Amino acid sequence: MADDEVKESGGSDQYDATQYHEVVKGDTLWKIAEHYYGDGSLYTNIFEANKDILKDPNMIKIGQKLRIP
Amino acid sequence: MKRNIVGLVIVLFVSTLMLVACGSGDKGPAELAVKAAEEAFNASKGEAAKYVPDEVKSMEGALAAMKDKLAKGEYKAVITEAQAFTEKAKGLPDAAKAKKEELTKSWTDLSQGVPKMVEAVQSRVDMLSKSKKLPANLTAEKFADAKSGLASAKEEWAKALESFKAGNIADAVSVGKSVKEKAVAAMETLGMQVPAGAT
Repeated sequence: MADDEVKESGGSDQYDATQYHEVVKGDTLWKIAEHYYGDGSLYTNIFEANKDILKDPNMIKIGQKLRIP
Repeated sequence: MKRNIVGLVIVLFVSTLMLVACGSGDKGPAELAVKAAEEAFNASKGEAAKYVPDEVKSMEGALAAMKDKLAKGEYKAVITEAQAFTEKAKGLPDAAKAKKEELTKSWTDLSQGVPKMVEAVQSRVDMLSKSKKLPANLTAEKFADAKSGLASAKEEWAKALESFKAGNIADAVSVGKSVKEKAVAAMETLGMQVPAGAT
């Protein structure tokens, strides 16, 4: 959980269309899924897309850049 | 008085003969100049017709106009125009080469960026299609627009690839740019971030 502001940012490649979300205070995967998809229950898709950096869907860190499918 | 009139007539007749003689003297050089101009144009228009078609079309018109003037006996004008035309014709391969390089660079950029954008939009559309409720900033109508834009972009991209494989870079780039615009529009509608290279 962190601040309510939601940040989006792209990758370093100027043609990289991967969508990212930078975790801020107050964020949970559920909230992030709700923001992008309108449905928090889809958080598992975000977790699956970020398994290389997330071990537990309940453990996200401020500043982490998550891929949003 | 009568002698003066006869003298005047003779002077006029001689002047006319001289003018005709001078004009006829330019006929051969004018014909040669047009022939040289046409040969120079034919030798260089091959690639140019593919990459700078408007320029080639305009020169075809100029050549026809020159031939028309030749037929009307405007030899001096033809000689001047043919020289300029020949120089322009000789420059066509360079113009075509420059355009080809420009188009190739554009295609390289498009072929790097567009598939990534289309893939990202497809991924988001797939996710939103699973959602029980759309996000606050997206109406069902806008979502439908984005889906139709995506379908059209995929279809057009396939055509752009076909054009490129067939060696028609100009068409490939033209269609590719349209696909990029559709992908950008879909991304914006879906609230996605558009890659810097696409703007």
